[in-house]
Amino acid sequence: MAKKTYDLLFKLLLIGDSGVGKTSILFRFSDDAFTSTFISTIGIDFKIKTVELRGKKIKLQIWDTAGQERFHTITTSYYRGAMGIMLVYDVTDERSFENIVKWLRNIDEHANEDVEKMILGNKCDIDGKRAVSKDRGDAIAREYGVPFLETSAKANTNIDKAFNDLATAILDKFAGKEPGDAPDRVMVDPRRGDTSRRSCC
Amino acid sequence: MTAPAGISPEIEAVLENGLNKTALTCLHCPSRILNPSVGTFVQQEFALPAMTKQKNQIIDEKHELREFWKVKDMFQFENVGFSNTVDGVKYLTCADCEMGPIGWHDLVTKENFIAVSRVRNS
Ligand SMILES: Nc1nc2c(ncn2[C@@H]2O[C@H](COP(=O)(O)OP(=O)(O)OP(=O)(O)O)[C@@H](O)[C@H]2O)c(=O)[nH]1
Ligand SMILES: [Mg+2]
Ligand SMILES: [Zn+2]
Repeated sequence: MAKKTYDLLFKLLLIGDSGVGKTSILFRFSDDAFTSTFISTIGIDFKIKTVELRGKKIKLQIWDTAGQERFHTITTSYYRGAMGIMLVYDVTDERSFENIVKWLRNIDEHANEDVEKMILGNKCDIDGKRAVSKDRGDAIAREYGVPFLETSAKANTNIDKAFNDLATAILDKFAGKEPGDAPDRVMVDPRRGDTSRRSCC
Repeated sequence: MTAPAGISPEIEAVLENGLNKTALTCLHCPSRILNPSVGTFVQQEFALPAMTKQKNQIIDEKHELREFWKVKDMFQFENVGFSNTVDGVKYLTCADCEMGPIGWHDLVTKENFIAVSRVRNS
Protein backbone atom coordinates (compact mmCIF):
# COMPACT_ATOMS: atom_id res chain seq x y z
CA MET A 1 0.00 0.00 0.00
CA ALA A 2 1.30 3.42 -0.92
CA LYS A 3 1.95 5.61 2.05
CA LYS A 4 0.89 9.19 1.84
CA THR A 5 4.13 11.08 2.16
CA TYR A 6 2.98 14.68 2.14
CA ASP A 7 0.15 17.00 3.10
CA LEU A 8 -0.11 19.34 0.15
CA LEU A 9 1.06 19.70 -3.43
CA PHE A 10 1.59 23.11 -5.02
CA LYS A 11 2.28 23.59 -8.71
CA LEU A 12 4.45 26.64 -9.36
CA LEU A 13 5.51 28.28 -12.61
CA LEU A 14 8.39 30.53 -13.64
CA ILE A 15 7.51 33.02 -16.38
CA GLY A 16 9.06 36.15 -17.86
CA ASP A 17 10.98 37.40 -20.88
CA SER A 18 13.73 35.38 -22.50
CA GLY A 19 17.08 35.73 -20.77
CA VAL A 20 15.87 37.03 -17.41
CA GLY A 21 17.14 33.90 -15.64
CA LYS A 22 14.15 31.59 -15.13
CA THR A 23 16.09 28.45 -16.01
CA SER A 24 19.00 29.60 -13.85
CA ILE A 25 16.64 30.05 -10.89
CA LEU A 26 15.33 26.51 -11.28
CA PHE A 27 18.57 24.93 -12.42
CA ARG A 28 20.73 26.02 -9.52
CA PHE A 29 23.27 28.37 -11.08
CA SER A 30 26.41 26.31 -11.05
CA ASP A 31 29.57 26.29 -13.00
CA ASP A 32 31.27 23.99 -10.56
CA ALA A 33 33.00 20.81 -11.59
CA PHE A 34 30.00 18.64 -10.82
CA THR A 35 27.68 20.07 -13.41
CA SER A 36 26.61 17.15 -15.50
CA THR A 37 27.07 17.78 -19.17
CA PHE A 38 24.33 15.34 -20.09
CA ILE A 39 21.64 17.06 -18.07
CA SER A 40 22.77 20.58 -18.95
CA THR A 41 22.42 19.71 -22.63
CA ILE A 42 18.87 18.42 -22.49
CA GLY A 43 17.57 20.78 -19.79
CA ILE A 44 15.21 20.41 -16.86
CA ASP A 45 11.44 20.42 -17.37
CA PHE A 46 10.40 20.62 -13.71
CA LYS A 47 11.56 19.85 -10.22
CA ILE A 48 9.88 18.36 -7.20
CA LYS A 49 11.04 19.89 -3.92
CA THR A 50 9.80 19.16 -0.44
CA VAL A 51 9.55 21.98 2.08
CA GLU A 52 8.10 22.21 5.53
CA LEU A 53 5.90 25.20 6.26
CA ARG A 54 3.80 25.76 9.36
CA GLY A 55 4.39 22.13 10.32
CA LYS A 56 3.14 20.81 7.00
CA LYS A 57 5.07 18.81 4.50
CA ILE A 58 4.55 20.45 1.14
CA LYS A 59 5.62 19.21 -2.26
CA LEU A 60 6.44 21.94 -4.72
CA GLN A 61 6.34 21.05 -8.38
CA ILE A 62 8.21 23.87 -10.09
CA TRP A 63 8.00 24.31 -13.86
CA ASP A 64 10.27 26.28 -16.12
CA THR A 65 8.83 27.95 -19.23
CA ALA A 66 10.39 29.53 -22.31
CA GLY A 67 10.32 33.32 -22.55
CA GLN A 68 10.68 33.57 -26.30
CA GLU A 69 7.65 34.83 -28.17
CA ARG A 70 7.41 31.77 -30.41
CA PHE A 71 6.86 29.57 -27.38
CA HIS A 72 4.04 31.59 -25.86
CA THR A 73 1.20 29.31 -26.96
CA ILE A 74 2.96 26.42 -25.28
CA THR A 75 3.66 28.52 -22.21
CA THR A 76 0.02 29.44 -21.70
CA SER A 77 -0.90 25.75 -21.51
CA TYR A 78 1.39 25.54 -18.49
CA TYR A 79 -0.83 28.01 -16.65
CA ARG A 80 -3.46 25.31 -16.31
CA GLY A 81 -3.59 24.25 -12.71
CA ALA A 82 -0.76 26.52 -11.58
CA MET A 83 -1.28 27.69 -8.02
CA GLY A 84 1.65 30.07 -7.87
CA ILE A 85 3.52 32.06 -10.49
CA MET A 86 6.97 33.64 -10.25
CA LEU A 87 7.10 36.53 -12.65
CA VAL A 88 10.74 37.26 -13.37
CA TYR A 89 12.43 40.30 -14.88
CA ASP A 90 16.10 41.20 -15.21
CA VAL A 91 17.25 44.29 -13.27
CA THR A 92 19.78 45.00 -16.03
CA ASP A 93 17.12 44.88 -18.76
CA GLU A 94 14.60 47.72 -18.83
CA ARG A 95 12.51 46.02 -21.48
CA SER A 96 11.97 42.89 -19.38
CA PHE A 97 10.72 45.13 -16.57
CA GLU A 98 8.27 46.97 -18.82
CA ASN A 99 6.95 43.62 -19.99
CA ILE A 100 5.95 42.67 -16.44
CA VAL A 101 2.62 44.40 -17.09
CA LYS A 102 2.15 42.33 -20.23
CA TRP A 103 2.88 39.13 -18.33
CA LEU A 104 0.45 40.11 -15.57
CA ARG A 105 -2.25 40.52 -18.23
CA ASN A 106 -1.29 37.17 -19.65
CA ILE A 107 -1.75 35.59 -16.22
CA ASP A 108 -5.16 37.21 -15.86
CA GLU A 109 -6.21 35.72 -19.18
CA HIS A 110 -4.91 32.20 -18.80
CA ALA A 111 -4.29 31.29 -15.17
CA ASN A 112 -6.67 30.38 -12.37
CA GLU A 113 -8.33 33.43 -10.96
CA ASP A 114 -6.96 32.83 -7.49
CA VAL A 115 -3.37 32.10 -8.49
CA GLU A 116 -0.75 33.58 -6.15
CA LYS A 117 1.82 35.78 -7.85
CA MET A 118 5.24 37.07 -6.99
CA ILE A 119 7.52 39.44 -8.91
CA LEU A 120 11.26 38.75 -8.94
CA GLY A 121 13.87 41.27 -10.06
CA ASN A 122 16.67 38.85 -10.91
CA LYS A 123 20.43 39.38 -11.44
CA CYS A 124 20.68 41.78 -8.51
CA ASP A 125 24.31 40.68 -8.16
CA ILE A 126 25.17 42.80 -11.19
CA ASP A 127 25.61 46.34 -9.96
CA GLY A 128 27.36 48.14 -12.80
CA LYS A 129 24.77 47.48 -15.48
CA ARG A 130 21.63 47.90 -13.38
CA ALA A 131 18.82 49.51 -15.38
CA VAL A 132 15.88 49.10 -12.98
CA SER A 133 16.13 50.40 -9.43
CA LYS A 134 14.74 48.43 -6.51
CA ASP A 135 12.32 51.31 -5.88
CA ARG A 136 10.73 50.84 -9.29
CA GLY A 137 10.31 47.14 -8.57
CA ASP A 138 8.69 47.99 -5.26
CA ALA A 139 6.42 50.51 -6.92
CA ILE A 140 5.04 48.19 -9.59
CA ALA A 141 4.57 45.45 -7.01
CA ARG A 142 2.56 47.83 -4.82
CA GLU A 143 0.53 49.03 -7.78
CA TYR A 144 -0.55 45.47 -8.64
CA GLY A 145 -0.63 44.20 -5.09
CA VAL A 146 1.94 41.49 -5.71
CA PRO A 147 4.86 40.64 -3.39
CA PHE A 148 8.30 41.52 -4.72
CA LEU A 149 11.89 40.39 -4.14
CA GLU A 150 15.18 41.08 -5.81
CA THR A 151 17.03 37.82 -6.45
CA SER A 152 20.24 36.47 -7.84
CA ALA A 153 20.37 32.98 -9.23
CA LYS A 154 24.11 33.39 -9.51
CA ALA A 155 24.79 34.43 -5.91
CA ASN A 156 21.86 32.34 -4.63
CA THR A 157 20.26 35.41 -3.08
CA ASN A 158 16.61 35.17 -2.02
CA ILE A 159 15.90 32.14 -4.23
CA ASP A 160 14.79 29.84 -1.42
CA LYS A 161 13.00 32.71 0.27
CA ALA A 162 11.07 33.46 -2.92
CA PHE A 163 9.77 29.88 -3.18
CA ASN A 164 9.03 29.70 0.53
CA ASP A 165 7.15 33.01 0.48
CA LEU A 166 5.09 32.00 -2.54
CA ALA A 167 4.27 28.61 -1.04
CA THR A 168 3.36 30.22 2.28
CA ALA A 169 1.00 32.62 0.51
CA ILE A 170 -0.75 29.68 -1.17
CA LEU A 171 -0.92 27.80 2.12
CA ASP A 172 -2.40 30.79 3.93
CA LYS A 173 -4.98 31.23 1.22
CA PHE A 174 -6.18 27.66 1.64
CA ALA A 175 -6.22 28.09 5.38
CA GLY A 176 -8.27 31.26 5.03
CA LYS A 177 -10.72 29.80 2.58
CA GLU A 178 -13.13 28.22 4.95
CA PRO A 179 -13.42 30.45 7.97
CA GLY A 180 -13.69 28.41 11.12
CA ASP A 181 -11.86 25.56 9.50
CA ALA A 182 -8.65 24.82 11.33
CA PRO A 183 -5.65 25.24 9.06
CA ASP A 184 -4.46 21.73 9.80
CA ARG A 185 -7.60 20.25 8.35
CA VAL A 186 -7.13 21.90 4.99
CA MET A 187 -6.39 19.26 2.43
CA VAL A 188 -5.73 19.42 -1.24
CA ASP A 189 -6.19 16.45 -3.46
CA PRO A 190 -2.76 15.56 -4.82
CA ARG A 191 -4.12 15.16 -8.33
CA ARG A 192 -5.59 18.60 -8.34
CA GLY A 193 -2.39 20.17 -9.59
CA ASP A 194 -2.74 18.22 -12.80
CA THR A 195 -6.30 19.07 -13.64
CA SER A 196 -7.55 22.40 -14.78
CA ARG A 197 -9.77 24.27 -12.43
CA ARG A 198 -11.95 26.22 -14.76
CA SER A 199 -12.97 29.54 -13.37
CA CYS A 200 -16.68 29.69 -12.88
CA CYS A 201 -18.86 31.63 -15.29
CA MET B 1 7.57 -11.43 -0.01
CA THR B 2 10.98 -12.97 -0.55
CA ALA B 3 13.73 -11.15 -2.36
CA PRO B 4 14.24 -12.19 -5.98
CA ALA B 5 17.00 -14.68 -6.64
CA GLY B 6 20.49 -13.61 -7.63
CA ILE B 7 20.78 -10.60 -5.38
CA SER B 8 24.27 -9.57 -4.38
CA PRO B 9 25.20 -9.09 -0.72
CA GLU B 10 25.64 -5.36 -1.44
CA ILE B 11 22.02 -5.11 -2.48
CA GLU B 12 20.89 -7.38 0.33
CA ALA B 13 22.43 -4.91 2.77
CA VAL B 14 20.33 -1.97 1.57
CA LEU B 15 17.05 -3.89 1.33
CA GLU B 16 14.29 -4.28 3.86
CA ASN B 17 11.19 -6.20 2.79
CA GLY B 18 12.13 -5.49 -0.81
CA LEU B 19 12.19 -1.73 -0.19
CA ASN B 20 15.00 0.77 0.36
CA LYS B 21 16.13 0.40 3.96
CA THR B 22 17.50 3.92 4.32
CA ALA B 23 16.89 7.26 2.66
CA LEU B 24 18.44 7.75 -0.79
CA THR B 25 20.66 10.78 -1.13
CA CYS B 26 22.71 12.34 -3.91
CA LEU B 27 26.28 11.08 -4.41
CA HIS B 28 27.54 14.63 -4.78
CA CYS B 29 25.55 16.72 -2.33
CA PRO B 30 23.41 16.09 0.78
CA SER B 31 20.11 16.37 -1.09
CA ARG B 32 17.56 13.75 0.00
CA ILE B 33 15.93 12.07 -2.97
CA LEU B 34 13.71 9.44 -1.37
CA ASN B 35 12.60 8.53 2.13
CA PRO B 36 13.14 5.00 3.49
CA SER B 37 10.71 2.26 2.37
CA VAL B 38 9.32 4.14 -0.60
CA GLY B 39 11.26 2.53 -3.46
CA THR B 40 10.74 -1.09 -4.50
CA PHE B 41 13.84 -2.96 -5.60
CA VAL B 42 13.54 -4.21 -9.19
CA GLN B 43 15.92 -5.89 -11.60
CA GLN B 44 15.56 -4.92 -15.22
CA GLU B 45 17.84 -3.82 -18.01
CA PHE B 46 18.04 -0.17 -18.86
CA ALA B 47 20.77 1.77 -20.66
CA LEU B 48 21.25 5.04 -18.81
CA PRO B 49 23.46 7.76 -20.30
CA ALA B 50 26.69 8.41 -18.43
CA MET B 51 26.62 11.28 -15.90
CA THR B 52 29.46 13.12 -17.60
CA LYS B 53 30.99 13.01 -21.03
CA GLN B 54 34.13 14.08 -22.82
CA LYS B 55 34.21 17.35 -24.70
CA ASN B 56 33.19 16.99 -28.35
CA GLN B 57 31.74 13.57 -27.74
CA ILE B 58 28.76 13.40 -30.06
CA ILE B 59 27.03 10.18 -29.09
CA ASP B 60 26.19 9.83 -25.42
CA GLU B 61 27.87 6.94 -23.73
CA LYS B 62 25.32 4.66 -22.09
CA HIS B 63 25.66 2.19 -19.27
CA GLU B 64 23.59 -0.97 -19.06
CA LEU B 65 22.19 -1.00 -15.54
CA ARG B 66 20.16 -3.73 -13.88
CA GLU B 67 19.32 -2.61 -10.38
CA PHE B 68 16.75 0.07 -9.71
CA TRP B 69 14.47 1.47 -7.06
CA LYS B 70 10.99 1.75 -8.52
CA VAL B 71 8.93 4.72 -7.37
CA LYS B 72 5.29 4.52 -8.44
CA ASP B 73 4.24 8.14 -8.10
CA MET B 74 6.56 11.06 -8.82
CA PHE B 75 5.21 12.93 -5.81
CA GLN B 76 6.65 10.25 -3.55
CA PHE B 77 10.07 11.79 -4.15
CA GLU B 78 11.45 14.23 -1.61
CA ASN B 79 13.59 16.16 -4.07
CA VAL B 80 14.18 15.32 -7.72
CA GLY B 81 14.48 16.98 -11.11
CA PHE B 82 12.82 15.80 -14.34
CA SER B 83 14.63 16.51 -17.60
CA ASN B 84 12.98 17.49 -20.84
CA THR B 85 11.79 14.51 -22.85
CA VAL B 86 14.32 12.84 -25.15
CA ASP B 87 13.40 9.78 -27.21
CA GLY B 88 10.28 9.21 -25.14
CA VAL B 89 12.08 9.29 -21.79
CA LYS B 90 12.51 11.82 -19.02
CA TYR B 91 15.70 11.49 -17.02
CA LEU B 92 15.85 12.07 -13.27
CA THR B 93 18.45 14.29 -11.61
CA CYS B 94 19.39 15.57 -8.21
CA ALA B 95 17.17 18.61 -7.55
CA ASP B 96 19.94 20.51 -5.83
CA CYS B 97 23.13 19.94 -7.81
CA GLU B 98 21.62 18.64 -11.06
CA MET B 99 23.84 15.59 -11.08
CA GLY B 100 22.35 12.95 -13.30
CA PRO B 101 20.87 11.04 -14.86
CA ILE B 102 20.27 9.13 -11.65
CA GLY B 103 17.33 7.34 -13.21
CA TRP B 104 14.45 7.65 -15.61
CA HIS B 105 10.70 8.26 -15.83
CA ASP B 106 8.44 6.12 -17.99
CA LEU B 107 6.02 8.46 -19.74
CA VAL B 108 3.52 5.65 -20.39
CA THR B 109 3.30 3.95 -17.00
CA LYS B 110 4.37 7.11 -15.07
CA GLU B 111 6.68 4.92 -13.03
CA ASN B 112 10.10 6.14 -11.97
CA PHE B 113 13.33 4.18 -11.67
CA ILE B 114 16.35 5.29 -9.65
CA ALA B 115 19.60 3.47 -10.40
CA VAL B 116 20.89 1.90 -7.19
CA SER B 117 24.47 2.58 -8.27
CA ARG B 118 23.89 6.28 -8.87
CA VAL B 119 22.66 7.30 -5.43
CA ARG B 120 23.85 6.90 -1.86
CA ASN B 121 21.92 4.04 -0.27
CA SER B 122 23.02 4.49 3.33
N1 LIG C 1 24.87 37.73 -13.24
C1 LIG C 1 23.80 36.95 -13.30
N2 LIG C 1 23.50 36.29 -14.43
C2 LIG C 1 22.41 35.51 -14.46
C3 LIG C 1 21.56 35.36 -13.34
N3 LIG C 1 20.54 34.54 -13.68
C4 LIG C 1 20.76 34.17 -14.95
N4 LIG C 1 21.87 34.75 -15.45
C5 LIG C 1 22.41 34.61 -16.81
O1 LIG C 1 21.46 35.10 -17.71
C6 LIG C 1 21.44 34.33 -18.92
C7 LIG C 1 20.03 33.86 -19.21
O2 LIG C 1 19.59 33.00 -18.16
P1 LIG C 1 18.50 31.88 -18.40
O3 LIG C 1 18.26 31.24 -17.08
O4 LIG C 1 18.87 31.00 -19.51
O5 LIG C 1 17.24 32.75 -18.84
P2 LIG C 1 15.73 32.25 -19.14
O6 LIG C 1 14.83 33.19 -18.44
O7 LIG C 1 15.60 30.82 -18.80
O8 LIG C 1 15.59 32.46 -20.70
P3 LIG C 1 14.61 31.68 -21.75
O9 LIG C 1 14.76 30.22 -21.48
O10 LIG C 1 15.09 32.08 -23.10
O11 LIG C 1 13.23 32.17 -21.51
C8 LIG C 1 22.42 33.19 -18.69
O12 LIG C 1 23.63 33.53 -19.35
C9 LIG C 1 22.62 33.16 -17.20
O13 LIG C 1 23.92 32.73 -16.88
C10 LIG C 1 21.91 36.08 -12.14
O14 LIG C 1 21.25 36.02 -11.10
N5 LIG C 1 23.04 36.87 -12.19
MG1 LIG D 1 15.10 29.12 -19.91
ZN1 LIG E 1 23.05 16.56 -5.58
